[in-house]
Amino acid sequence: MSTEIDSALALTESQARALFEKEFVPHMDAMYNFALRLTNDEDDAHDLVQDTCMRAFRFIGSFEPGTYAKAWLFRILKNNFINDYRKKSRGPSKVEFEWVEQSFAGDDDPEPAFQADLQAETVNEMLGDEITSAIQALPVDFRMIIILCDLEEFSYEEMAKILNIPIGTVRSRLHRARALLKETLANYAAKKGYKTDMLSA
Amino acid sequence: MIDVQNTMKTNCSHQPDCLKLIQRILDKEATAEEEARFLANKDHCLPCKKGHELELALRKALKSKCTTSCPSGLLDSIRSKISSILLFILLLIPLFCWFI
Repeated sequence: MSTEIDSALALTESQARALFEKEFVPHMDAMYNFALRLTNDEDDAHDLVQDTCMRAFRFIGSFEPGTYAKAWLFRILKNNFINDYRKKSRGPSKVEFEWVEQSFAGDDDPEPAFQADLQAETVNEMLGDEITSAIQALPVDFRMIIILCDLEEFSYEEMAKILNIPIGTVRSRLHRARALLKETLANYAAKKGYKTDMLSA
Repeated sequence: MIDVQNTMKTNCSHQPDCLKLIQRILDKEATAEEEARFLANKDHCLPCKKGHELELALRKALKSKCTTSCPSGLLDSIRSKISSILLFILLLIPLFCWFI
């Protein structure tokens, strides 16, 4: 509470409220959606967004108008998720361990072993929950980068700052995340009878 | 009329690199020259054309299937917490001034 007071004392009450409405509120849908995809739970997403806003509000007095509030808020949300919410989960999936092992193998930009032969027409015909299921099935680091890039349209530089990783890692992680997403969708499509040969890259 | 599909390359020896370029173009991270070169060649290479269509379809599907709005109650709850903090500060300032 004392930090909130220190920071907010720098602003008048109306200034703090106006800054919140102008800089935080327009990004609330995007923040909630990101939190929901990360936690997979509406209550956890609710708490995560609320905690993120309160943490950001502590520093509202030092926020510089004109800087990109959305990237700043997403960075706080991501850190909040990693530090508090991820610990509550049952731990990373088996797939996540496999990708982590590959990441530590020493290759900065490993190529995916293959690209699934998925067609645009097949994706367009997926009218059910295949897309959301495939996203939720991804290891959380891959899920995070696909949402930041493809849904929220952050630049590679912004994603590097949000995720606290080098730009080269942003590129390679995105490439591998998309390959895995396509592979997952190709598997769903195969179960529904579409043609899904795996081709060597 | 020439059948464009039949004049296309059906194999691309640079497919992994082309896929990375397609993704960088759609991510708005490629240079204008790279984008112009790709678009000029896209209709002559079937794997690149299909790859471009697939990447576009994936982005479109993600945007239509994976977006959720923030519940209105959440915003109200955050506004209420912020009001409490601001009220606390308003009460604290006179107290602080009185002390000094």
